[in-house]
Amino acid sequence: MSDGFTEIGRALPRKEDRRLVTGRGRYLDDLASPGALHVSFVRSPHAHARILEIDSAEAAEMPGVVGVFTGRDLDHMTTRLRLAPPIEGLQPTELTTLPINKVRFHGDPVACVVATDRYLAEDAAECVTVEYEQLRAVTSIAEAFAPDAALVDDSLSSNLVSHQTLSVGDPAARRAEAHRVVEARFALHRHTHVPLETRGCLADWDDGRAHLNMHIGNQVPHPLRSQLASRLGLSESQVTVMSPDVGGAFGQKIALYREELTVAALSRHLCRPVRWREDRMENLMSAAHAREYECRTRTSVSETGRILGLELEIDEDFGGYCFYPANYMARVIALIMTGPYRIQDYAYEVRVALTNKCGAGPMRAPMAITSWVMEGTIDAIARDLELDPVEVRRVNALGPEDLPYKMPTGEILEDVTPRETLEMAVAAIDVAAFRERQTQARSEGRYLGLGLCTVIESTTYGSEFYKSAGIPGSGHESAWVRIEPSGVVNASVGLMGTGQGYESPLSQAVAEGLGVRSEDVTVHMGNTDIAPYGMGSRGGRGATAGGGTLYLCALKARERVLAIAASMLDLNDAGGLRMRAGQIERMIGDDWQKVGLALTDVARRAYLDPLVLPEGIPPGLDFSQSYDPPAMTYSNSTHACEVEVDLQTGAISIDRYLVAEDSGTILNPIVVSGQQQGAIAMGLSGALLEQVVYDSSGQNLSATLADYLVASPNELPEFEILHHHTPNRRTPAGIKGMAEGGVMGAIGVIANAVSDALAPRGVTIKRLPLTPQSIRALLREAAPSSMKRTQS
Amino acid sequence: MSAPTQDPLTLSLSVNGETHEVRVPARKLLSDVLRDDIGLTGTHVGCEHGVCGACTILIDGRPARACLTFAVQMEGHEVTTIEAVGRPDTLSALQQALHEEHGLQCGFCTPGIVVTFEHYLRENTNPTAEDVRDVLSGNLCRCTGYQNIVVAVLKAAARMRGELA
Repeated sequence: MSDGFTEIGRALPRKEDRRLVTGRGRYLDDLASPGALHVSFVRSPHAHARILEIDSAEAAEMPGVVGVFTGRDLDHMTTRLRLAPPIEGLQPTELTTLPINKVRFHGDPVACVVATDRYLAEDAAECVTVEYEQLRAVTSIAEAFAPDAALVDDSLSSNLVSHQTLSVGDPAARRAEAHRVVEARFALHRHTHVPLETRGCLADWDDGRAHLNMHIGNQVPHPLRSQLASRLGLSESQVTVMSPDVGGAFGQKIALYREELTVAALSRHLCRPVRWREDRMENLMSAAHAREYECRTRTSVSETGRILGLELEIDEDFGGYCFYPANYMARVIALIMTGPYRIQDYAYEVRVALTNKCGAGPMRAPMAITSWVMEGTIDAIARDLELDPVEVRRVNALGPEDLPYKMPTGEILEDVTPRETLEMAVAAIDVAAFRERQTQARSEGRYLGLGLCTVIESTTYGSEFYKSAGIPGSGHESAWVRIEPSGVVNASVGLMGTGQGYESPLSQAVAEGLGVRSEDVTVHMGNTDIAPYGMGSRGGRGATAGGGTLYLCALKARERVLAIAASMLDLNDAGGLRMRAGQIERMIGDDWQKVGLALTDVARRAYLDPLVLPEGIPPGLDFSQSYDPPAMTYSNSTHACEVEVDLQTGAISIDRYLVAEDSGTILNPIVVSGQQQGAIAMGLSGALLEQVVYDSSGQNLSATLADYLVASPNELPEFEILHHHTPNRRTPAGIKGMAEGGVMGAIGVIANAVSDALAPRGVTIKRLPLTPQSIRALLREAAPSSMKRTQS
Repeated sequence: MSAPTQDPLTLSLSVNGETHEVRVPARKLLSDVLRDDIGLTGTHVGCEHGVCGACTILIDGRPARACLTFAVQMEGHEVTTIEAVGRPDTLSALQQALHEEHGLQCGFCTPGIVVTFEHYLRENTNPTAEDVRDVLSGNLCRCTGYQNIVVAVLKAAARMRGELA
């Protein structure tokens, strides 16, 4: 990757490290606020119950308690959340800030205790007595859709909160003419995000100015400010959101949660700073969950494995509340399902169920199951037709001659390289050699498996995508760049990092556009009074939307700087000028030569001697820019993974893991490699260990980190990464964005590898996670009855 | 309702070589006292049940979980926190290696990891990658996938042995 970039692409270490590695970062709970009150929430012990009475008399008299507030109290202080976007098949929903009549999951907040310290608030919360009438709990998709199911949301006509279908081409005709119709099933389990820093906030109402200062680790400060202002009946001028250092988010810190709105409302009500930090149990039970899907594919194929038509059904367990429109995640899965393959006859049906569990939200790669479903389907075709899975991929994969490619759903793929990354991964893993090792191992009673998973990762969602998908929202981003009188550069953008390490790569985007060193640029994020209104951090949009907007803004700044420089050099125009490392250079002959003029000189003139600026150029060096990316940008990759499964224990060991990834122009390879590794780790951790468990009555059984298992270094392999950089020709600097594809690929590749390993035992992975217990159960089920007897 | 555990006690705590007098109830966790009463916020609280390791500190030179310790237990003991290990402009060898090798992302788990390995590398100067993974299994990191942390610890060890500039 060259393109003549000098700052973009530099392996610049992260600017935030020095404070973080010494414990000098400032996370939410590190902010001092003398005299602040602390809250503790009283939470429902039931999955589904009517609230008959809340008795807070004893709690209110306890030491340090300032007040106990219920859903009824909050309903006077806040407006309700109504979600009713005009989307066909989506039922409108409305939520109170805290439940008033009914709780819908184990951990639902029913009251809020405010006290002078956290210990006292928790003591008092335990003494709030709530009388419930228990209702039948809906704890699965099947139960939710049963004809006599209890209603999770009493205002809806059924638990089917969202239902969409699409049919393109003629999948039924393709089925009729197919050599074979291959069916496959995929069940992904409920995950949760587990940022190491739990949620929390510090709300500080300034009664004199009638202004709310909201300190909160959040990915989208401006949309959050809009929500807060609207729900509190304030104007956006009356709310400042300030996001400090954030200890991870992964999609969990986007929505305005009910607890946070409660804390803000109570700060205003009590005219005191009020703070909340949830404990880990609350985080695991009641922050947000994700990923619980059941998918089925029916694929019409030719003798060679060529896919003629694909039919997909997705059911999602959305939990008890809609903090996002219920079609939000599942429909994107359906929209991009065909991904790296040439498929034109395609149909989907997406059904979303409300259940008595914690509400679902986007989690790093909200469309994570996509790649497992598509690549698991490819493997199912190969098994069914006894073809080489690599060959089935080859006959279907999009190649350069197919691009740009319009997917059946209308999404456009361009500048992607799925066939190239497939071949890179296949060559690097040496599939033929692996098959020999596999055969040898099987003869020794050892079960090795190889998985492949090609990923098309939707990264940056432009406004056009939202509009065509019927999702309210914008995909644009905004930035400003200011060259100060001393020549140093400040910049800002509406993104908010939650650990990715934005400060170096975004300063590189500015530095490249302007012509300075990244070290001389500071990017300010997270304060809504400083940053321009942007759509924040979600998906893989940071580099394309954030970096792209900053780059464009810096180009605008450079143009002005060079125009002033030209006048200072008595040139007619800036045609033969450029700036590098803050020094103006002029093309003399065939060489760029320094002319003894620096950005500091230009800045001094712009600010302190504006009368001699060329006509039409205003004083100062202050620029702003907004940018709306294409409807969608895509990165792509192919993951390959070798495993060994121990039949006696069900344990899986990962012998080798590699990924060939094309994420276009990258701003900073250090940060990108970190995102690649971290995303794969999160995918593997989820596929192998993590699982939110509810029992049949809706009790959450995974509310500690000893129950909800996150991978330690002993469960994760070394990651080999092969790079391929195809710039996107439609984005600034060719940036594509990335950071979620690793999750998508990891989930698919590990499932495919284990299926490959266990093929001789008749086991195919249709359900995750792949715990030792689940592997052993599959082996027992698949074993001939004679073996079962000897084993039992 | 006033339980004895809520009545404040005056404690004298030795933290990072300095003596601090604090008045806190007996039930107050060391992690909270370090953060709220002594102002050392580098010790992070990630789970409050001893699993995540973000709050790892040294008690008399040995790693321990501040969230599983009451401050009142610390009288007569020496507590060391992340604040005693390097500063932003003078990183320790381990901190420098974590920076160079991108061994952290959000940084919330990092103080616990630094404290764990500052201790470990003093007693184990030449660990293997497997050794490092084993010790690191006491600290959860949700961002990095651990690979770069392992690389950084090995690099720091090599530097501390004088084998690497």
